[in-house]
Amino acid sequence: MKIFKRVLGIGLALLVAALFLFPLLWVVLASFKTKLELLAVPPVFIFKPTLQNYINAFRSDFPMQVRNSLIIAVSSTVISIILGSLTAYGFSRYSIKNGDFLQFWILSLRMLPAIAVVVPFYLVFRALKLLDTHIALILVYCLTNISFAVWVLKGFFDEIPLELEEAAMLDGYSPPQVFLRVALPLARAGLATTTIFCLIQSLNEFLLAVSLTTRVAETAPVGLSKVQTLMGVDWGLLSAASVIFMIPIVIFTIIVRNELVRGMSFGRMK
Amino acid sequence: MSQEAIVSKRAGPATAVEAAAGLRDIWWRRVLFVPTIGLLILLAIVPLIFSLGISLFNYSIGSRAIWIGLRNYISLFTDPQFWLATRVTVQFTIVAVSIEVVLGILFGFVMNQRFTGMSVIRLIVFLPMMLAPFVVGLFWRFMFDQTFGIVDYLLTRIGLQAIPWLIHPFWARVAVVIVDVWQWTPFVTLLVLAGLGTVPTDLLEAATLDRASNWMKFRQIYWPYLRFPLLLALLFRSIDTLKMFDLPFILTGGGPGNYTSTLSILGYRQQIMFFNVGMAAAISWVVVIIINIVTNILVRLITPAKAEQVHTGL
Repeated sequence: MKIFKRVLGIGLALLVAALFLFPLLWVVLASFKTKLELLAVPPVFIFKPTLQNYINAFRSDFPMQVRNSLIIAVSSTVISIILGSLTAYGFSRYSIKNGDFLQFWILSLRMLPAIAVVVPFYLVFRALKLLDTHIALILVYCLTNISFAVWVLKGFFDEIPLELEEAAMLDGYSPPQVFLRVALPLARAGLATTTIFCLIQSLNEFLLAVSLTTRVAETAPVGLSKVQTLMGVDWGLLSAASVIFMIPIVIFTIIVRNELVRGMSFGRMK
Repeated sequence: MSQEAIVSKRAGPATAVEAAAGLRDIWWRRVLFVPTIGLLILLAIVPLIFSLGISLFNYSIGSRAIWIGLRNYISLFTDPQFWLATRVTVQFTIVAVSIEVVLGILFGFVMNQRFTGMSVIRLIVFLPMMLAPFVVGLFWRFMFDQTFGIVDYLLTRIGLQAIPWLIHPFWARVAVVIVDVWQWTPFVTLLVLAGLGTVPTDLLEAATLDRASNWMKFRQIYWPYLRFPLLLALLFRSIDTLKMFDLPFILTGGGPGNYTSTLSILGYRQQIMFFNVGMAAAISWVVVIIINIVTNILVRLITPAKAEQVHTGL
């Protein structure tokens, strides 16, 4: 009975994994197919793989768009982690006037729909001649990233025993030193998770990117959306580009896989 | 709302730290708060007020803005397209989020077993929620295609009828829900796993010794630890589906006949296609208000006593 249950459990886990894996595998397969094989009826599972789609992707604007995506995501994440960890630490350690209101307000920004800010941002950036620049998107992405960082990191700072910080103070550390040398290292797991999530959020965002960029600062998703409208649907190129764009995300996920579950418990899980 | 609880809880030790730090460190507190809050005000409050203002004008890019008061809102509320988009948005949210929560709990328990290879399985399951919704929509569109799509091929292979995904008003909506469920059930699963990880092991051992039934175990042992993560999942998923844009935009383009046009898509079209900035701003305000109402209802209805937890992230 026990063995039966165990086998059933493992079988279910494998089934669930297959459900999530199959579509991903199908795109990876598609990226190695020729045009004819892509549109074949019935779909082909076994074929001679070609790299043509990847060569096409590298010859298009796509590498530049990936570069834009990375510049924007990394810059916005660095700013958000610095500001977010400072403020999260502040909320965790100090009681300030209207602190609880401010905290709720910052959280609520995570809920703010992109569509709500896209119109004013468009007009403001147009007036400032910042449309289609990296700076515009970096700033805009800070909005959700900072609010996310403050929220997650506060949970981690709350878990750090105050005795440790008080001991450091008695050793002559100033409050900024306590923050940098005691609190931040202890919140490593939280910082790692937050960083990855901010990066992913910024890489994946579409509505603001498509509205605020036109060519020069175009991010990868925006570029992909245009491939599709200008040249009909080149599924080979699109799937190759999708696979390339998925690679950094998959690497990030592998890096944080152990912190992921723990990070989501906001420091409660040991 | 009992937000004072947070402050008072921390007040004891916090004042000790503060006393040690002394008044000379007021600048340090400024560093902690002022840049962040300043930047957020600049990035959130200013645009929101600006957009509230724009929504009161008849303003298209390239032409002069004319003050029209609430007329954007009036024409919005009398437009059947708007009500269709609202209905579609709410439908997507209710259907997709309920499926995601139910499946998320089930998958959470399945993923909570321990055996070699589980870390790989978890990794696979967490992947979809990391991908860009836009890219996900793209390759599902490829799979849902009527002629060469793999989905219809598999359906006919197991003896079912091919389904006109993406071009039939009903099936197009089903397709959007399927893809959303595929991508975001892992998020609920992740939060469930996080909750399950906080269940004390001695509690579980005691229950096994007492031969508690599975339902009893779930209700008495797991549920108290799952309630909060599930509330979070429900909250985040509801808000994200209420503002859904990328997925239907790429999967169906909002069609057929606007049957998959969410409010965000409607607003985007007003701005990008018709350059009607005033109307786009009005629509965006409706989305903000709906999301606010839903957030408040969810926070209060589900955990009336523990509403403050959501705010503190504890």
